[in-house]
Order: sequence, then C-alpha cells, then structure tokens
Amino acid sequence: MSLNGWLQIALFIAIILLLAKPMGSYMTRVFDRRRTWLDPVLVPCERLLYRLTGVDPNEEMRWTQYAVAMLVFSAATLILTYAIQRLQQFLPLNPQHLAAVAPDLAFNTAVSFTTNTNWQAYTPETTMSYLTQMLGLATHMFWSAAIGLALAIAFIRGIARREMKTLGNFWVDLTRGTLWVLLPISIVFAVALTSQGVIQNFHPYTTAKLVQPQTVTATGSDGKTTTTAVTTQTIAQGPVASQEAIKMLGTNGGGFFNANSAHPFENPTALSNFLQMLSIFLIPAGLTVTLGTMVGSPKHGWAVLAAMTILWFVGVFVCYWAEAQPNPLMHNVDQRASLTQSGGNMEGKEVRFGIVNSALFATVTTDASCGAVNSMHDSFTPLGGLVPLTNIMLGEIVFGGVGAGLYGMLVFVVIAVFIAGLMVGRTPEYLGKKIEAYDVQMAMLYLLIFPLIILGFAAVAVLMPNLGLSSLLNHGPHGLSEILYAYASATGNNGSAFAGSNWNTHWYNYSLGFAMFFGRFMMIIPMLAIAGNLAGKKIVPETAGTFPVTTPLFTVLLTSVIVIVGALTFFPALSLGPILEHLLLHAGHTF
Amino acid sequence: MLPERYFMADIIALITIAVLFPLSLLYVSACDHLKGSRR
Repeated sequence: MSLNGWLQIALFIAIILLLAKPMGSYMTRVFDRRRTWLDPVLVPCERLLYRLTGVDPNEEMRWTQYAVAMLVFSAATLILTYAIQRLQQFLPLNPQHLAAVAPDLAFNTAVSFTTNTNWQAYTPETTMSYLTQMLGLATHMFWSAAIGLALAIAFIRGIARREMKTLGNFWVDLTRGTLWVLLPISIVFAVALTSQGVIQNFHPYTTAKLVQPQTVTATGSDGKTTTTAVTTQTIAQGPVASQEAIKMLGTNGGGFFNANSAHPFENPTALSNFLQMLSIFLIPAGLTVTLGTMVGSPKHGWAVLAAMTILWFVGVFVCYWAEAQPNPLMHNVDQRASLTQSGGNMEGKEVRFGIVNSALFATVTTDASCGAVNSMHDSFTPLGGLVPLTNIMLGEIVFGGVGAGLYGMLVFVVIAVFIAGLMVGRTPEYLGKKIEAYDVQMAMLYLLIFPLIILGFAAVAVLMPNLGLSSLLNHGPHGLSEILYAYASATGNNGSAFAGSNWNTHWYNYSLGFAMFFGRFMMIIPMLAIAGNLAGKKIVPETAGTFPVTTPLFTVLLTSVIVIVGALTFFPALSLGPILEHLLLHAGHTF
Repeated sequence: MLPERYFMADIIALITIAVLFPLSLLYVSACDHLKGSRR
C-alpha cells in the first residue's frame, strides 16, 4: 500500500460525498415534480409520452398496482430483448453478420439485462450485433436503472406519507427517472468518455497486421499437433461510449467488450477509470440525501450515508491490503512496489490501473450492483476476492445499485429499529411510524429469499457433477468460490464473475437466469409491501423512548445489523471457499 | 431461417417467461393477502 494509493482513495470518497447533496437535491425536485432547469426541453417530451401511451400522470397507485405495472413493463421488455437476440441475423447494424443468439443464452441475457444484472455468459464482440447491443441491451440499462430509482422513491414516499394508501405512479417515476436523471447525465458522461478515447462508431471490425507475428501450436483431439502463423489481429469496433456511460451510471456493468472496463476502448485512461468509479456511486450516494429531504429528516439521510461509507471503507481497506501483498508461492520474483512496478498481486490486473485502482474498482463495483470490472476478480488473492464476494452477499446495500441499494438498506433499517425496540422493550418506531408484525415479516422475507436462492442453487450445482461441475476449470475451495460468486452475483443482480468456468451451458444459463429473476422480483415485492403498509400508518409523536435514527449510535447499530446478518448467513460457505483457500495458500497449495 | 433444433428451445424459453411473470403476480397477491389476513 502506498500514500499515493490512499490519496486516490480519499479523493474518490471526498468527491462522492461532495456530489451527494447536489445530486440528491436535484432528484428530490425531479420526483416531487418541482421545477428544474431541464423542464423547458423535457416537459413536452414527457407530456407526449403520456399522451402516446395513455398514461394519466395524476393517477396514484397502491403498492400492488405499482408492483403489477413494474412486472408488466419488465415482462414486455424482456420478451422484446429475447426476440431481438433471436432475430439479429435478419436485423440491420450487423456488419459482422453475427448469427442468432442461442435460445438458452438469449433467455439468460434477456433476464440478465431486464433485472439490471448484466451477467454476460457470452463474448459480446463475437455474439451481439450493434443493434442488439444498442436496442436490446443498452435500452435495458436505462429502464432497469430507472425502475430501481422509481422503486426507491416509492419506498421513500411510503415512509414520508401519512395515512395514504398510494405510493405514486410507476409510469411517471419511470419516465422522470429516465428523462431527467439518467439520460442527461449519460449524454454528458458519454462525451467525456469519448474525449478520453472511448470509441463510438458503426464500423466493421478492423484487421491490423501484427508488428511481431506469432506462432501458435495446438494439439487437437486426435493428438495431432498443428502450428499456425498468426500475422493479423481483428480489432472490434462499435458504439461503445453511449453504452459505457449508462453501464456505469445505471450500475449495470454489461461491457461492450468481453474484457469490460479493462479494455482500452472502454476505459482508456486513469481519468476515464476514475470517472467510471465516480459514476457508479453518484446516484446511490445522492439518494441518501433524497431520502433525508423527502422524509423531512436530512440527518437521517446522512446517518444512512455514514453507514454506507464505513462499510465501503472496510471493504476497500481489506481488498487493497490483500492485493498489495506478494504471492507467498512466488519466491524468486520481485513483487515489491517501486517506481517501475505496482508490486503485490498483479495477476489479472491492468498495468495501467495497478493495485489501488483495481482494488478500489472491485470494491465499488460490488458495493453497488454494477458488476463492471477493470481487473479479473478470479485472479485476486483469496482475501482480496473475499471482499467483492462479501459485498455482494451483504445485499449490495453499501451505496448499492441505483435505487436497489437504498431500498435494500431501508429494509435493514426496519430490522435495525425493530431490534432496537426489542432491546428497550418498546414498540419499534421508524420516523414516527410503528413497525409492526407485517413489516417485519416482509423484511424477513426480503432478507431470507436472498441467501436461499444463492445457497440453494450453489448446493445443487456442487452436488450435480454433470450440471454444475463439468464446465468448472478450477477445483477445490477456489472452484466453490467461483460457483458461490456466480449465484451471489446473479441473485444480487451484480453481474460480475469470478470467471474460471464456462458459464455458457444449458444448466448455468437457465439456473442463473432463474436466480437473477427471483433475486430481483421476489425481493422487490415484499419491499414494496412494506412501503405500502408504512404509507397507510399514522405518525406517532416522538417520546423519550423513541430510538433516534439520526445519531452515530443508529449508524453503528445499522452497520452491525448488516454485518451480523451477512456473517451469520454466509460465513459457513465463505469459510469453505476463500477463507480455506487463503489458509491453504500459506500452506503451499494453490488452485 | 432459424435452425429447427432451436424451435423447441425457443418454446421452452418463452413458456418459462410466460410462467414466471404470472407467478410473480400471484406472489404480489399473496403478500397483500398476508396483510389482510392479520386484521
């Protein structure tokens, strides 16, 4: 670890904390339908959309109506994306004449992008046409993020409203989140990325002549050895910048190229890398301020932001420390940091980004449900890889995905105030609302579904060698970590992978597709049920026995509840995966 | 033309989608009913 590295980390979080207030205030104005400086351009667009779709923007929805609208929209767009992939060979903007995507992979990818996961079991540049990437995938990056944003706002309204049965209008929240928040920032961000060298074109792939031709020797299944001279290289092109911006801002993570943000056309410079990390946390950090403002308790928003920042710091500290350590099995290699090398564990990392920007990116992308990567998490040290895995298993509520992070955190808040109420023997209250049996039942349903899906599917994959193990390339505890990571990433709608396996099999395409679907919608519905129930409650006056949710004590309690719930749920599995691998590494074994 | 062997796989994928979303609607109804049953 170096001073330079820590200064970069400090600069990153300082900018995020500085941007939280203006971003949060802007989003409050957008969702309260107050005037913004973009109104002259966007209000006519908004009205036109409502007129074309027959939406009454003044209609209020109960939580069930809100949920049904969200499900109907998700179903329609999922089928659209499936169809685009299956028919891409007949559609335009396919200069490489790529064939139709296979059905199981098309199913997996359609679910993946609908649920904001962006799990990619395919190599984009050899599988998806430009039209599929733009119309099938990038549009979902806007919609799925806007849905997350709408749901978080609905939850906040549930807390803020008194004796009302409604949470707002899903179609209005979806439209305003897309038009006022995601689209303008993405346009500015895409231009900034192109200034750094991110490409944006519809060209066919370029063929370049190698300066140093290579010779590749391969042994076929018949045992014969063939030698091929490689003199050219195909360089993929495409409309990358426009997708890259929403990929990060919407905490989507689906790369235009297989190497994701490690590819120089997606992430060319240190500045583009820094901007990409900032854009992941921008909206989630702002939403804590929106929470505080809309519920009339700005300090509560800051207390939640403080809990997120503490958990983020612990993660980045452990990951940076672990990756800065030399590999104990490489005795005769200089792994010390110096002016000419990063030192530490550089396997799977871009030399351009080094240890600190790889560890920070990995922590940020898994704190949020982004899943973009600028280094290969599979190559991290066992403890370094434990951090992204744990971040996902905590529910990605440390800043979290756009909207999803905040509503996940608010479910933990409900549990935290419930526990605080139990400790002092009073009916728990949250900002004047009594937390009753139904709220806790729904919160527990939300919290229990998550590990049930991850551990259930992982157990089946491990116990069925023909299904889950046949395509695995690493075995032992590292192989278990890869399977655990895959299901955690899918269920948490993260989308990053520990790689190390061919995930493009029937079993993984369908089982991970189900994990993504259930991880998204089976958790959203109980969350909305809590919001709907809270909206209908009266406000009870604060008394000496009320647990304040604006103090450092609340922040500590919230942080503890998150860690304890996560640790109790996943520690046994983690101890058989990365923790065991760490112990075996220092005993001289590697996997 | 789309390969014929994919036809059944397409049907399976679409049926899966067609089943998952109505199940989610049932889940919404069940969560709402749970609240009503406690009154």
